Amino acid sequence: MITCSIILIFELMLLCLRILCQQNVEDYEKNHFHAHNCCFCQFLHSQISNIIPSSNSVAQTSVADSHNWTAFNNPAMLGYVVNPELGLEYENRYLVSELSTKSFQFALPSSLINSGLSFSHFGYSLYHEMLIGLGFARNFSDKFAMGVQFNYYTAFFTASNSYRGAFLPQIGLSVKLSPNFSFGFHSFNPFQTNINTKNVMKRIPSIFSLGTEHFFAPELVWRTQIDKEVSSNYRFASGFEYKMLQSFNVKLGAYGSGYLVPCLGFGFNLGAFLVDLNCEFHPLLGLNTLAAVKYKFGK
Amino acid sequence: MFLICSCPARAQDVVSTTEQLIADIFEQYTAESDDAIDYDTFYEDLLLCAQSPINLNKTSREELERLPFLSDIQIENILFYVYKSGPMKTIYELQLINGLDMTDIRRMLPFVLIGEADKSKQKIYWSDLLKHGKNELDFRLDKALETKDGYQSLSQEETNLTQSNANNYLGNDIYNSLKYRFYYKDRVLAGFTAEKDAGEQFWGSAHKGYDFYSFHAQLNNFGKFKTIVVGDFRANFGQGLVLHPDFGMGKSSYVLNVSSRNSGLKRYSSTDESNFFRGGGATVRVGKFDLSAFYSNKMIDGDTVNGSFSTIIKTGYHRTADELSKKHTVNQQILGANATYTNMNLQLGVTLVHTLLNNRLILDKSVYNHFYFSGKKQTTAGAFYRYRWKKINLFGEVAVTDNGGTATLNGCYFSPISQVNLVVLHRYYSPEYDTFYASSFSATSRMNNEQGFYLGAEVRPFRKWKFAAYADSYQFPWPKYGVDAPSVGKDYLFQADFAARRNISMFWRFKFEEKQTNLSNTGTVMPVVVPLQKASLRYQLMYSHGNFSFKNLLEGNLSRQGDADWTYGVIASQDVSYDFKTVPLKIDFRYQFFDAVNYENRFYSYERDVLYAFSIPMYFGLGNRYYLNLRYDLSKRLSLWFKIAQTVYADDRETLSSGNETISGNKKTDARLMLKWEF
Repeated sequence: MITCSIILIFELMLLCLRILCQQNVEDYEKNHFHAHNCCFCQFLHSQISNIIPSSNSVAQTSVADSHNWTAFNNPAMLGYVVNPELGLEYENRYLVSELSTKSFQFALPSSLINSGLSFSHFGYSLYHEMLIGLGFARNFSDKFAMGVQFNYYTAFFTASNSYRGAFLPQIGLSVKLSPNFSFGFHSFNPFQTNINTKNVMKRIPSIFSLGTEHFFAPELVWRTQIDKEVSSNYRFASGFEYKMLQSFNVKLGAYGSGYLVPCLGFGFNLGAFLVDLNCEFHPLLGLNTLAAVKYKFGK
Repeated sequence: MFLICSCPARAQDVVSTTEQLIADIFEQYTAESDDAIDYDTFYEDLLLCAQSPINLNKTSREELERLPFLSDIQIENILFYVYKSGPMKTIYELQLINGLDMTDIRRMLPFVLIGEADKSKQKIYWSDLLKHGKNELDFRLDKALETKDGYQSLSQEETNLTQSNANNYLGNDIYNSLKYRFYYKDRVLAGFTAEKDAGEQFWGSAHKGYDFYSFHAQLNNFGKFKTIVVGDFRANFGQGLVLHPDFGMGKSSYVLNVSSRNSGLKRYSSTDESNFFRGGGATVRVGKFDLSAFYSNKMIDGDTVNGSFSTIIKTGYHRTADELSKKHTVNQQILGANATYTNMNLQLGVTLVHTLLNNRLILDKSVYNHFYFSGKKQTTAGAFYRYRWKKINLFGEVAVTDNGGTATLNGCYFSPISQVNLVVLHRYYSPEYDTFYASSFSATSRMNNEQGFYLGAEVRPFRKWKFAAYADSYQFPWPKYGVDAPSVGKDYLFQADFAARRNISMFWRFKFEEKQTNLSNTGTVMPVVVPLQKASLRYQLMYSHGNFSFKNLLEGNLSRQGDADWTYGVIASQDVSYDFKTVPLKIDFRYQFFDAVNYENRFYSYERDVLYAFSIPMYFGLGNRYYLNLRYDLSKRLSLWFKIAQTVYADDRETLSSGNETISGNKKTDARLMLKWEF
């Protein structure tokens, strides 16, 4: 019965979203798009999802992280939010400020449905991308949660000195099979919406993620995740988060996608404030750091 | 309660003898390790431990570190349990210690006992030595049944050594070793070793006697001295960045065992002819400090010409006139010292080593060895630490050589709950760091030009199941041998162990490895490196029934270089062992089939062997191998081992091996005989 309901709701959601996303934006600028990011063209080619903020979950295993909602990650996790919360995140990729992603998120729970507003910015003056989203999610009796988010993506094209954008959705699901074990599914831009111009196509990431979360004990959780961006390699990730003290937790994990990237992080629970500091060690590109702060109202 | 009562019985069922247990532990170490580990030392250390078991009620970290299958976390947990709960009353209390499962306890049983907690030292009397000291004499012979090219030339030329056969073997094709051991508990140890490799001349114009002799004597806990060692010995301190000629902890299916053991000065009794010191040393215990000093003076092999040499030769082979001409041409002196402070939660130490050669080492310069050591003398210094804070164990070492080369290794063991153990390790070895006897965690056997991260996890989510995994990401910032550009690599391993019943256990092991290699025949001036990938999956089943025990192995691998097609390898084997109860005879038999398309699909497969020997033959091509291994106790004091093994290739090859080792035909047969006399 539950399964049938889930499938029915999903079918309806997908139908609505498909109608919304039929329009692709045209642009006649073609010759300069790649020129502005040539320094990092190889990096950008393989990492086209920079506009999506990295999750502060260990090794970016957010898809099944039922205790943490991150902007533009699994929107079903918005359904588990109990108190209103406001979050800011800054990710500095490989110590190059031009490759940083800044994001903002706000969640507002209610008895009927939880809502969330998210914004993300990647790049610098000559090349940047932005993403804004409005999400809705609901927790169904703590057995499962579903979420959907409507996003508008835009990129700045220097040659024409103009922005071009597109609407795209994302959907998410989280199912708790037992009090200690759950899995999550998430799709960002499932219909592969892109920005098409006469001569060039700007690809927007289209990502499908599946993951698990297992609590060995209330203080220790293990997560795994598989991601597939349609034009990139699979990404496999796994990690542990351990609450050493009431106000301090440690995260240790790794992900592999071409290269194996170890990840280490720390979380601080300072009353209503949650602070996360994560770092990743890419064997070729170097250090990737992330800082996030979240304020929970009413705590 | 049932588990507790059945504990010793299970140990007997699953591993019938201590020797077999040691071999199984060693197999786990070597199964996924590319490093050649000195089995002699490994075996002798554990066998001595079985003969003088560790008293858990008055043990120390250093003593428990002699058990290589125990992780640092397990050692800490044992010590913490005894400290917190007082002396153990029974061995069954081991089950109450966090992080020890039944498999670990079964492995520990032969090597530990529960005794008095009295830590006072007992004096050593000559009468006790004579009365309770034990002697052992081992004699071993190996012979290949097919004649190799190197010996065929000898028979044609007889004993006339001419320039034309200067590269042929001077001696016969028999390997022979003779070992004498004396030990009194673990307090007084002495021994003598003599060895002749196949092809080395035993008695003739070029050489007389055994090719290699070794002697050692060691006293432990003798007055103020913790250790006194004379003769051949090894010195292992810290994480091994400065000194660790013993086998180091590396990547294996024991995913948590990655930090080297600080075993100090210890006797050397192996037949490895290069990796040891010759001289003497002592460790004095002053309060919480252990102060060690040693001096070594020995001859090593090198291609010396006009007072300089370009290569240190470590094979220990002196079979041809050419090899003999390089024997003991360089004098190496080593002076070293160490101070280590130890208390309950903290260990700190410093090590200093100075090496002096009488001839100058001048390398044949190439890009890859640009930073390797050259010269006549080198000084290396390092400082190491280990600190326990709550559930976290931190460890590490930093070292520097006098040319400015630096190396550091730092890691952390972490046991958030008893079912989950984690380890993270980072190492950085600069290209300039190149020292003689360092051995620590590394992706290659040479400890320089590398940095990387290692993550390991061992999880016991359900009863009877254990999951272990590691991931290692590393890079070589400077070209290395066989790779003409800076390169990166990664390894993953996942193993699931299932102990179905007391006499049935199995595991699945998946391993993936990717590293970069030169692409040959590119025709380009600039080096082209491409990834070399290898994935393997192994299933192993072990079960016993009555006097029979069985082992099945099935393994497959896939390998490819760059964008080339994947090539495959398959190996399958059946082992049967039978322990006769009416006669003191034990038989091991194996049949093995292998089909590995090329060298990159090669397999290493451990097999049972005579005492102190350990075979991990390598296979590729199509063929099969079988062996028969016997142990017969002629009397209570005299035992005999005999092994015969044959590999038959079915892929139409007409010769095996190359150079002097070439065998005509498609068969290779080896026989071994070993005698042990205890008195």
